[in-house]
Parts: sequence; C-alpha cells; structure tokens
Amino acid sequence: MNKLQANLCLVCVTLLWSTEVIIFACIPDSVAPFATTAITSMIGGVLLLLCFFKRIKTALKNGGKKLLLTGVLLSVLNCGYNVMYQYGLKKFDVSSGAFTISMTVVILPVILMMKRQNVDKKTWVSAILVLTGIVISYLGKLGTISVPGLLMLIGGCVIRAYYIIRLNEAAREFDPVPLSALIAVIVGIFSFVIWFVMQPATFGAIEWDTRIVASLFIHAYFIVMFAQTLNIFAQRNATPAAATIIYSLEIIFSLIWGMTMPASIVTPITPDVFMMIGAAFIVLGNLAEILSFKRKAVKRL
Amino acid sequence: MKCEKRSPLRMILTVVTLIAAYLIVSVPFKVMEIIPGFTDIRPVSMLQPVYGIFFGIPGSLAFAVGNLITDILFDSLRWSSIAGFIANFLGPFCFYLYWGKLSRTPFALKTMKNILRHVAVIVVVALMEASIITPSVAISYPEVDFGLFFGMVMINSVAFPILLGIPLLIVMSEELGLKALTVNKGHRKDSRE
Repeated sequence: MNKLQANLCLVCVTLLWSTEVIIFACIPDSVAPFATTAITSMIGGVLLLLCFFKRIKTALKNGGKKLLLTGVLLSVLNCGYNVMYQYGLKKFDVSSGAFTISMTVVILPVILMMKRQNVDKKTWVSAILVLTGIVISYLGKLGTISVPGLLMLIGGCVIRAYYIIRLNEAAREFDPVPLSALIAVIVGIFSFVIWFVMQPATFGAIEWDTRIVASLFIHAYFIVMFAQTLNIFAQRNATPAAATIIYSLEIIFSLIWGMTMPASIVTPITPDVFMMIGAAFIVLGNLAEILSFKRKAVKRL
Repeated sequence: MKCEKRSPLRMILTVVTLIAAYLIVSVPFKVMEIIPGFTDIRPVSMLQPVYGIFFGIPGSLAFAVGNLITDILFDSLRWSSIAGFIANFLGPFCFYLYWGKLSRTPFALKTMKNILRHVAVIVVVALMEASIITPSVAISYPEVDFGLFFGMVMINSVAFPILLGIPLLIVMSEELGLKALTVNKGHRKDSRE
C-alpha cells in the first residue's frame, strides 16, 4: 500500500466513523452505550477470528505476549478517550463539540516533537490550517463555551493523540488483522464488564427485535471489523500526524449528515458563516496534507 | 505469471462462500429502513468490483444469485427480478472484463490515474445496471417513480463501490495478497509482476 492508497483508506475510515451516529440512531436509547460497544466489538472480533483464524493463530504463536500487551494498552487508551469524549461532549452543542475534538490534530505533532520525532513542515502547515478552522468556528460562541467540558475534551484529545501514535507503531510492528481482532475482543470484554456493573441483567435487559439485531450487526461489520482493520492497515503506511489530519474530516462529514439527514436520525445543524469558513480551513488543511506538490515544483524548475 | 486451475468442487465452494458473504452484508439492510424514505440502501454494492475482479465468472454468478436469494427471502420476487439477476451478473462481469482483458495494464489501484479509470468503469457499470433494471421495474410497478428509482440505483451502484469498494480492493490486493483474474484463460495475473 502506498501513501495515496493509505490516505484514501483513512478517508474511508473517517467516513465510516462519521456514519456511527446514523447507525446509533437506529438503536433505542434503552440499549446502554456500553452494551452496544460490548456486543458489536465481540461480533467484529469473532468474525475476524473466523475469517483469519490461521493468520491470527500464527501471530499469537510468534510474539503473542507482546501482541497481547499492546492490544490491552490500545484498548485501554481507546476506552479512555471515548469515555472522556462522551462526558465532555455533553457540555457542548453538536457542532462545537465536533470541532473541538479535532484539536487532536494540533496536540499530536506537539507530542511527537516532545518525543523528539521529526514532523514534516507540510504537517505543521496542515495542523495550523485545521486549528485556524476550529478557532474560527468558535467565533460568536465564545460566551457559551463550558470550561470543564473543554478541559475534558482536550484531555480526551491528548489520550487520543497518544493512542494514534501507539497504534501507528503497533501497526508497523504487528500484523494488522490479529491486532484488530485482539483490540475488538479486549474492548468487547472491558465494555461487557462495565455493562454488567451498570446493568447486571445484561442481554436480558434488552428488548430484542430485528431492528436492534440488524443495527448491531451493521455496526459490527462496518465500524468494528472493516473500519478498524482498514485503519490499522492504512496507519502502517501513513504517519500518525497525517492520519490525524485526515481524521479531522469527520467534522465535514458530520456537518453534511447534520444538514441532509432527517432530525429523527441526526441533530440538525444549520451552519453559520463562521462554521462554513472553519470547515473550509479544515478541508484546506487536509488537502495540504493529502496532495503532493513536489512533482509540480520539480517541473517548474 | 502464476497459473491456478480450479476444480469444479472448489469453484462451487467459492460460489457458496461468496453468496454467504453477500447475504451477511445485505440482509441487515433489508430488515430495517435506516433513512426514512430511502427504502433500498445497498452497501453490498461495494462487493461488486471485488467479486468481478478477484473471482471472475463464479463471483459474478454469486453476486447475481445472492441478489435473487435476497429477493426471495424478503418477498420481493417479481418478474423484474429477472432483469435484476441479469444486471447483477453483468455488473461484476464488466469489472472482470475491463481489468482482465480490456485494460492494457494489470489491475492495480496504485496511481490516481488507475483509480480514476476504475471510477469511470464504476459509473459506466452503474448506468448499464440502472438502464436494465429501471424499465423492468417500471413495467412491474407502474406506481413507482421512474426517475427516483433510476437515481437510487445510480447512487447505490456508484457511491458504495467508490467510497467503500476502492479501499476494500486496495486492502485485498495490496495487503491480503488476492490477485486479479485475466479473462482469456481464467488464471490469476499478479498485478505486482
């Protein structure tokens, strides 16, 4: 997989993640969020195990302990930033929250710099463009920003940035398929434990119907099995900073869903001028990262 | 160039497995209406190029049979299903034909040029499918909005193979090692050769 292919895969992963709200809208509120995560992660993990049994068995034989520890660490980080996002987002309206969680784009290069790793000039340009977009989207809403919520989201962004860096390292070290299966199973187990503590009846507490079953399977195939595995394959061939910048496209997709989908599915968004300009800066930041200008520059010389 | 001769039993197993994969993806979307007003969202269309390029005629047959079984399971088997069967066979077959015979370069979505060529094939295939299915549906169901139905077939056959199908093809060919088939002898042509 080359860089262009990796970038395309990351765009696809971001698109799939953005559709999560649409899938969740089909699941009744009576189904706890941890129940959804537990069930879909387990289904995704088991399906990966069934499809790639030999590959996973071989990976676990050769360096299984290290793979397992990496899987546990990534799952803990994954659960950690998701919980912080969940609580932080409650203090924000949908659009401001979505723009704020893109702060990872700026935090990640800073963490890389602290780890004394090189960051491309192009990536800094993209990060600054995305940050400008986030700041512009805030204009006109400055008085309504909740400081505890903001701190919670920034904390989540720091954990997510560290998660992306560790995932990128792990993707280069291990086979992405067993890694993805392992993360799915461990996240499934963690979520099940929390679900059990919060709702001891677990599966018995859900009023099952075909709609819930179908939604859970759709989430398991597309978000857990496909997007997660695709993400790890793409991360292998992309830098963590480039991946994070592409992930920021999720805001654009969310804006599109918010403007086009019925209110019964997604909270409607009526974008103001600041939001539109902010979104334009984010797209520019992405284009600066994805497109290569090197060849044209050589031709001009 | 590596050649692989496939036994009839292996071919049957391939078709059955591909039909099962088709049903696993398509059935949940038939059970529920995700977006009110849009009754037929078909992400399973993302598998169309995959079935054609990597599995050739057995793949094309599996795609068509999978669609037919879905029609039977959800009580939508009508005369128009014949047109649906033909269109769903020809769709994957066109990808097989293009990348296996007509294209001068082997299948590899490594450059923007090749990706755009693949997108062009997707659009042509979608037009062909919509032109086959829509008239038969218009005859079977005169109350159906002809233009809306044509649009839905186009959206399903273009959006999913591009947005989800291209990344899937990239992973399958570049990372999982699947090789595209050539039309003339039905053997696999290594895109990396």
